[in-house]
Amino acid sequence: MELLLLIYCWKRLGVSVVVALISLTAISCSISAGNGAFFGRTVPPDRNIMRYVTGDEPESLDPTVSTGQAEARIYMALYDGLVEYDPKTLRPIPALAERWDINNDSSEFVFHLRQTGRWSNGDPIDVNDFVYSLRRGLSPELASRNAYLAYYIKYGQAYNEGAVFVRDAQGQFLLARDFAEGEALPEPLSSKPIDAKGEYSPTAEEPTPDPDSSFHQLMHSPQRITLPGDEKARNKFLDKNPKLKEATAGKQFVRVTAEDIGVEALDKYTLRISLAQSAPFFSGLLAHQFFRLVPRRATEQYGNHWTEPEHIVTCGPFKMKTWKPYDKLVLEKDPMYWDAGIVRLDELHFYPMSDNPTIMNLYKVGEIDAVLNHTVPNAWLEVVRTKKDYMDAVEAGIDYLQINVTRPPMTDVRVRKAFNFAVDKNAWAAWRKIVKPLTAFTPEGIFQGYNQPKGDQFDPERARQLLGEAGYPVTKQSDGSYSCPKFPVDEVQYTYNTQESNQKMAEFMQAQWKQNLGITVGLRNMEMKTFLSLRSKLEYKGFTRGGWSADYMDPFTFLSLFYTGGESGTGWLDPKYVAMLDQANRTPDKQKRYDLLAQAEKYLIDAQPIIPIDTASANWVKKPYVKGMYPNPGSLFAWKFVYIERDQSKWDYGTPSLSE
Amino acid sequence: MFRFIIRRLFITIPTILVVITLTWGLIKLAPGNFYSGEKKLPAAIEKNIREKYGLDKPWYQQYGKTMWNILRHGDFGTSLKYEGQSVNGIIARSLPVSAAVGILAYILALLIGITAGSIAALKQNSRWDYSSMALAMLGISVPNFVLGPILVLVFSLSLYWLPPSRWGGFPSKNLILPVLTLSAIYMAYIARLTRAGMLEVLRSDYIRTARSKGLSEKDVLVRHALRGGLMPVISYTGPALAFLLTGTVVVEKLFALPGLGNYFIQASLNRDEPLIIGIVAFIAITLLLMNLLVDIAYAFLDPRVRY
Repeated sequence: MELLLLIYCWKRLGVSVVVALISLTAISCSISAGNGAFFGRTVPPDRNIMRYVTGDEPESLDPTVSTGQAEARIYMALYDGLVEYDPKTLRPIPALAERWDINNDSSEFVFHLRQTGRWSNGDPIDVNDFVYSLRRGLSPELASRNAYLAYYIKYGQAYNEGAVFVRDAQGQFLLARDFAEGEALPEPLSSKPIDAKGEYSPTAEEPTPDPDSSFHQLMHSPQRITLPGDEKARNKFLDKNPKLKEATAGKQFVRVTAEDIGVEALDKYTLRISLAQSAPFFSGLLAHQFFRLVPRRATEQYGNHWTEPEHIVTCGPFKMKTWKPYDKLVLEKDPMYWDAGIVRLDELHFYPMSDNPTIMNLYKVGEIDAVLNHTVPNAWLEVVRTKKDYMDAVEAGIDYLQINVTRPPMTDVRVRKAFNFAVDKNAWAAWRKIVKPLTAFTPEGIFQGYNQPKGDQFDPERARQLLGEAGYPVTKQSDGSYSCPKFPVDEVQYTYNTQESNQKMAEFMQAQWKQNLGITVGLRNMEMKTFLSLRSKLEYKGFTRGGWSADYMDPFTFLSLFYTGGESGTGWLDPKYVAMLDQANRTPDKQKRYDLLAQAEKYLIDAQPIIPIDTASANWVKKPYVKGMYPNPGSLFAWKFVYIERDQSKWDYGTPSLSE
Repeated sequence: MFRFIIRRLFITIPTILVVITLTWGLIKLAPGNFYSGEKKLPAAIEKNIREKYGLDKPWYQQYGKTMWNILRHGDFGTSLKYEGQSVNGIIARSLPVSAAVGILAYILALLIGITAGSIAALKQNSRWDYSSMALAMLGISVPNFVLGPILVLVFSLSLYWLPPSRWGGFPSKNLILPVLTLSAIYMAYIARLTRAGMLEVLRSDYIRTARSKGLSEKDVLVRHALRGGLMPVISYTGPALAFLLTGTVVVEKLFALPGLGNYFIQASLNRDEPLIIGIVAFIAITLLLMNLLVDIAYAFLDPRVRY
């Protein structure tokens, strides 16, 4: 039969089709031929070396530069921070900070550093290194794209924005609360007069609060008002606030400097960070690459060349051995590392690669030991999923559709809801095989103790009814299909960036709406950067693809996408929603805070500027002899815990458990 | 001849400048920028970035600065995406990779292509002719993104003989599959061009003259026929060599090679302005030089050509 088909094709379509057919047959044969428990060759490397594909070529080895996950994994080997991600839960565990105290409304943190920290060149690490790193990260000259993560630090945002304080002739600064519009929000404890006893609850390790200082008192004074540093922008701002304009007349504008931000060295090994607001997730956020330590001497001496192999100084469990961009980054165990005793790998080999089949080929022949997340191509899943080295786990990431709420007919919440009701997310998840259907805006089953609200389930009847109410009646045709002749189809489109998985999702949504509403939404794909530009300027009509992975392990990393204007790419910004988030973050009790966040999330999904689709899956493979590496929700690995196990009985047969 | 070369080189310079200017303009017109990501940046951070890289300046100042650095120092600047890495350094690093694969593929294509094409022409309408031309047809119609994975499938994933991808230095086993993949289509074209050129020449008067003068068949073929028969091949392989040298996007991507082609495609996707301009200028220069070499080679091969 196949032969006949081949001959037929040869005659009709020529050689290339035949070759394609032969290759497809060969691919299917070769994949199904792998009958072992694992995918491909499974032989541990001779030496204690871990070979891993990190993803795209790293932008830089400076941890403050890149925002990407590919780089985050490299930075985790090279740099330590105050805290490190727990390999299973990603919750903060002690790193260069041995322990920390948090005040009662999570607006001030005191970190007690270990005294054994050392740089790869042998220099000791102390509190000044942290003060320097945080100030450098926030400096406008460095222009870090991640700087917004540190905006919680008091005056951190003002410093990064190049803003100014306003000082009168007596040296008094104008205060923010005197010019707040509407009802002023209560100040966090970190901005109230110091009440040493009431602010920190005594613990066994810390029976009395840490010593006070003049800088500390300054931090604990009410927040000063900050204005744009650029004169033009400032005048424009003042013109809109006559009261403020009058108050600033004749006063001096003082630039916010690095020394003004709420970061203080209490003594050689104690660091105090004062925040502008309550942020219970802040200690978890500190494991992020942006907050990792950079060497002062090297950065000041070599500028943006400090990460070159001959200049780089690091502080993580591994240090640089060789680096060939676009090819291979070889790291070796750093004997200077404070926790070097725990590190079992001699070397880490990072390969920057981005083509998924190429990566999987390398894995199959056993030239690499693990691959990055989202790497197994859809067509391979059928086979690879059944193997014992497939990592079957969900991720702290979501896929969703964004709706441009500024353009009719999507200005009408009923229309938005109708399109949400008309998508069968269970069917999508069943087809995609590895994702979980989602009706809310935070990933499901990731944040323990968080009672995620439930959004609307698939209900095509209700969808049609809502469209009718909005003035676009859906009628049933004689053949059983639906049509919605009044709906302005030309005003709605589905835009996505060119990628196979995005296209599949777009086609699925298109089919769902066609089937359930009788509306055929046009699809439009474009190159990534063009897409991002279009989306952020709200130049699209209807829907775009959206996706987000957690920056830190708290629902707020998702909910904050709608916290300030424009960032979400939907045009939806609701002061009530922002106030709800503020209120939640000011709540000291963890469970209560979670409940308030859940209420805000409910409010968001009811407003429907987005259509939730699924909770993403990790979707990667690792050889069974790689131990200490877990499919955690962020696919971020503390490499110091990873090792090669040669005893086959101790290998991982299946996805390792994340429970402690 | 010498004056011709000087004149050609002289025209090259304005051509390159026009190419650079057009590239610069196209990048500026393209939507998006190197720092945009899934989450929109706060306005203040965007402003910091634009100031840091001088993107807040008026367009003529940016253009002037770029051109000045190129003309004055031959310096294409620093990559925007890869912090601190100079464009000249990136080209210097990735060119040897592309060139190694490209030159090997070129030599292989020439050797096999010319041999197969000559045999086909000499034994026209024989089994040799049909089979080599069928293979050549196959080589032309199977794109390298199909051929590459098939070779990987057979020699790496099934037989475990050769590494499926990555750069392993020069020389190494890693080179074999990319070189084969890359050379296939060139090999096929060269074989067909050689065959056509040889057939035409073999029927020409001067070959008949050579034969009638009693030259040995070997002398007729190698000294007279091949020289004329290769003319179309020469004009094809000049630009082909330029493309092979400066990297081929598909093969480099397929085999994860750190070559110029890989950087070029990434630079465009990243909107990495200095890197795009640097690589485009480099490719343009190579292409123009190769064309010049072809013209010079013509003069040597064909006595009728005079400059």
